[in-house]
Amino acid sequence: METQLVLEKWAGVISTLTIGADAKEGGTRANTVKIGGQKSLPLLFKEGDIPNPTAIAFEIWDVSPLDWPEELVAAYGKALDNPFDWADKCINEFKAKLLCVRMQGAHPDFGNKGPKEAAEFISILLSRVKVPLIIIGCGDDAKDNQILPACSESARNERCLIGCAVQENYKTLVASIMADGHNIIAESPIDINIAKQLNILISDMGLNLERIAINPTIGALGYGLEYAYSIMERARLAGLSGDKTLASPFICFAGQESWRAKEARISPEQGIIWEIITATSLMQAGADLLILRHPEAAKKVSEHIDILFKNKS
Amino acid sequence: MQKFKVTFLPDNKTVLAEKDKTILSAAISAGVYINSVCGGDGVCGRCKVVLKKGQVSEQLNGIISEEERKNNIYLACLTNIHSDLEVEIPESSRLIFDNPNSARIGEGLGNLYSKTEDIHPVEPKLKEGLFKHSPFATKIYLELPAPTLNDSISDLERIYRALRTYEDFPVIQTGLFNIRQLGELLRDSDWKVTLTLGKRNDTVEIVLVEPGNTTDKNFGFCFDIGTTTISGQLVDLNSKKVLGTKATYNQQTTFGNDVITRIVYAGQSDGLEKLHQAVCNTMNQIIRELVQENNIDLNDVNCIVCSGNTTMIHLLLSVDPGHIRKEPYVPTANFLPVLRAAEAGININPRGLLSCVPGVSSYVGGDTTAGVLSSGIYQNDKLCMLIDIGTNGEIVLGSKDFLVACAASAGPAFEGSGITSGMRASNGAIQKVSINKTDFEVKYATIGDKKPRGICGSGYIDLLSSMLEAGIIDRSGKIKVEGKRIRQTATGKEFIVCFKHESDALSDIVITEADIENLKRSKAAIFSATAILVKHLDLSFSEVHKIFIAGGFGTYLDIERAIEIGLLPDLPRSKFAFIGNSSLAGANQILLSSQAMAMANTLASKITYFELSVDSRYMDEYGQALFFPHTDLAKFPSVRF
Repeated sequence: METQLVLEKWAGVISTLTIGADAKEGGTRANTVKIGGQKSLPLLFKEGDIPNPTAIAFEIWDVSPLDWPEELVAAYGKALDNPFDWADKCINEFKAKLLCVRMQGAHPDFGNKGPKEAAEFISILLSRVKVPLIIIGCGDDAKDNQILPACSESARNERCLIGCAVQENYKTLVASIMADGHNIIAESPIDINIAKQLNILISDMGLNLERIAINPTIGALGYGLEYAYSIMERARLAGLSGDKTLASPFICFAGQESWRAKEARISPEQGIIWEIITATSLMQAGADLLILRHPEAAKKVSEHIDILFKNKS
Repeated sequence: MQKFKVTFLPDNKTVLAEKDKTILSAAISAGVYINSVCGGDGVCGRCKVVLKKGQVSEQLNGIISEEERKNNIYLACLTNIHSDLEVEIPESSRLIFDNPNSARIGEGLGNLYSKTEDIHPVEPKLKEGLFKHSPFATKIYLELPAPTLNDSISDLERIYRALRTYEDFPVIQTGLFNIRQLGELLRDSDWKVTLTLGKRNDTVEIVLVEPGNTTDKNFGFCFDIGTTTISGQLVDLNSKKVLGTKATYNQQTTFGNDVITRIVYAGQSDGLEKLHQAVCNTMNQIIRELVQENNIDLNDVNCIVCSGNTTMIHLLLSVDPGHIRKEPYVPTANFLPVLRAAEAGININPRGLLSCVPGVSSYVGGDTTAGVLSSGIYQNDKLCMLIDIGTNGEIVLGSKDFLVACAASAGPAFEGSGITSGMRASNGAIQKVSINKTDFEVKYATIGDKKPRGICGSGYIDLLSSMLEAGIIDRSGKIKVEGKRIRQTATGKEFIVCFKHESDALSDIVITEADIENLKRSKAAIFSATAILVKHLDLSFSEVHKIFIAGGFGTYLDIERAIEIGLLPDLPRSKFAFIGNSSLAGANQILLSSQAMAMANTLASKITYFELSVDSRYMDEYGQALFFPHTDLAKFPSVRF
C-alpha cells in the first residue's frame, strides 16, 4: 500500500531580504543576493515555495588576522596581508558572490582605527569589488557606534547588510541604516525571546521588519550546535506560523565558530570538515546565509546546496 | 583569638571583632544595619561599604568594579578583618525606613479618588447577613443569683449554668487563672460580672472574668502580615466598626527581602528568634498606636486574627520554617490552633486569644484563604480569578465548584521596596502619573495631596506606562531619549520624576533603568503565573468572568495602565475589580464572625495547590513576559502603544 505524506501548510512567510543594489536601484553592484522568502521549513519543497537557496559569503577582515590557525591562513597565503588582494582572491579564485568584511582593525586591541579610516576602507573596497557587501563591526560597542555609521554612510545606496545590533546597543546603528538604505543584522545570545524583542525594538524605531536578518548566535559542532539548532527551529516555526516579528532570515557565522573548535586545528582536512558539518547542519535548521572562512569548505557546502536544491522541481 | 576594633561611620559605633570575621558580621554584632538581600552569600552586591582605614582580605567575585575599588569600596560580606578598621556605610547600603508610625491608609484621600467607589466592589460582600455577627471574642454580662443552702452549686458551675440560659454553648473551658480568683471576685462584685468568651475551634473558653458590666469595651485586631508590609486594623467587636487601620514595613526586611532569604536566616543561630522579635515589634507598635489614638485600654483588646503567608505565620509563632524551602516543600502546620496572643509575643489583654487564618500550602498561605473569602470568588457560579500582587504573588482561579491556587515570587517592587525612590502607599507617595509627550514634563498626584516623598506601586505602574507612551523608554525598559529630566549615572540612566526642590524627599525622586528592570521582572512573574495557571487547567483568559486584583496599592490602581505594562492580561476592562488588601478584609470578616472562620477552614482544605516550578512552561512564559507589554504583542491587542 502506498503511504501518503502529510503536507504541512504554513500561514506565514519568511521575509525576503536583498543584499546589494545594482545600477537600476541606484547602487554600483554587479549582482545582488536574495535570501529568505520561503513558505516552508528547510528543504521541504513540497510544502511551500523556497525561492532562494542558502547563500554563502566569504569572511574577510580589514586587517591581517592575527589569531587565525595556520590551516586557514595557508588557504589564502600572501593575500591575507592586503585586504583588497584578499577580497579579489575570494572573488576571482574562489568565485565568491558575496563578501562579509569584519572591521576588526577598529577594535582597541587590533589597531584602534577611527571612523574616517573605516569609511575610506569601505569606499575603496566598494570601488574595487562589485559583489554585495556585508559589513560587521569589531565587537566593541562603543567603537562600533563610531565606525559603523561611518561605513554605512560611505556605502550609502549600496544596500549592504550591516551588524550586529544587540539589545543593549542598537539605536545608533538602526538610525544610520535607515538613513543610508541598508539592512541590519540583529544579534541575540541563543535566546528566542531576545531575538523577537530586538526585532520589535528595531521596528519600533521605524526600520521595516523586512530589512532585518537575525544572527541567532551559533555554536560549532560539539560546542553547542544543538542549542542554536533548536532555537533557530523554534523561531522559524513561529515565523512560518504567522509571527512577523520572527519571520526574518538567519545569518550564521559558521566559519568563525568552527575554527574556534580545538578539533578544527588538528589538521587542515579536519578543520574543513568541521566547518562543512557545522554549516550544513545549520542549513537544516533554517540558515539562509552562511559566513564561511575556508575556501574548500565554502566550495563543498556550495556543491551540497546545489545538490539539495536540484530536488526543488 | 586576636580581636580588632571596627568602627562604623556615620553611626560612629565601635565593636570588637575576631580576626578574619567579615565586616558584615561585625556590623550585625554592632547593631549597625547594612543591606544584605542575599543574607551574606556575596551575590546581591547590596552591602557595599567604604574602607576608610585598616587592612582587610577579600574574596573576589567580580561585583566590585575597578572604579569602585579605586574608591575603596568593598562587599561587607566577603571582606575579612585583618586590623583595626574604620568603615563607612554609604546611604545606598542602608535601609532608609520612613517613619513607620506615619502611614495611615486612606487618610485624607480628597477628590482625587473618585474612582474608589468603582474599584471597591468587594465592600458589599461584607453586607449584613452573609456571615452572622459572632465575633471571635464576645462579652456577656451576668447577674448571678447568690448561692444559698438550697442552691449550693459551685461558683464555676453557677457561671456555666447562667451562660447556658443565654445560648447552648459547646463545651466550656476556663483557665486556672480565672478559677483561682473566682471566689473572691464574684463576692466582691456582688455576683455581677462580665465574661469574655473566646472561640477555640469547637469549644468556648472563658477568657476572663471581670467585675461589673464592661460589655461595651470589647475590641479586636485583624492583621495582614506580609513579607514586606504589615497592616493592622482595630475593630470594635460590638459595633463591627473599624476604628483605625495602619500599615508599616515588616521589620524583618532587615534580614532579607523575600521569604526564602528569611527562611535561610531563620536557620542561623538566633535567626528565628530575631525574625520572631521583628514581626512582634512591628505588630505591637501598630497595636499600641491604634489603641492609644482611640483611647482604648490594651486590656480591652481581647482577640486578634492574623492573616499571612505560611512563612510569616511560622515566624510569628517562632516555628522553624526550614522545611518550607526544601523539597517537597512541607510546612510544619497550615491549620494552627487558637492560642494565647501572649504566647506569640503579641501585647493585648494577657489572656487574649490569637487565631491564624489557615493556609493551603507552603507558598499559598492564610492571606490567600482570606483573600478568597473576602473576594467571594468561592460563591461565584462563573470562573473568577484573584490576583494578589505582593512580594509573594498569589493567584487563585476558580468558582463555587473548584479553586486552584499558585504562588509566584514577584519581589517587593510593587510594594515600593528595593527600588530607588520606592515607598509604601502612604501619605506623600506619588500614585498617579502622566507625562507630556513633547517636553517630558511630569504631572503627578500624591496620596493625601502632600509633597511627594517617593513613589508607590500604583505610581510605578502609571509611570512605566506613561514613559512607554511618551517614548522615553523602549519596550525592553531602556531609556532611549535625552532631556533635562534624563541623567546618566555610573550604573545607567535615570529619569527624574520630581526634582528635590518640589519634593519632601532627601534627593530627586527618580526611576533608574535598574528599577525598571526590577519592576519588569515583578510584572513578568505575576503575568506568567496567571498565564500558566489558566493553561494548566486547559482554559483561556477569555473564559474568566471576573478578575479581582488585590494588593497593597492604597486606594488607587489604574487597570488600563497595568494592562499596558503587561502586568495584567488584556481583557475587557469591565472584568477587572480592584479590591485593595483582600487579606486584611478577610481577616476582618473572620474576626467578626465564627461562620467566616469556619468558612476559612473549609476553603483552606478546598483550595488545590499547583506548584509552578514543576511546569516546564513557566520559565518560557516568564522569559516572554520580560518585555513591555509582552514579547508576543498579539497577546495585548488593545494596548495603544
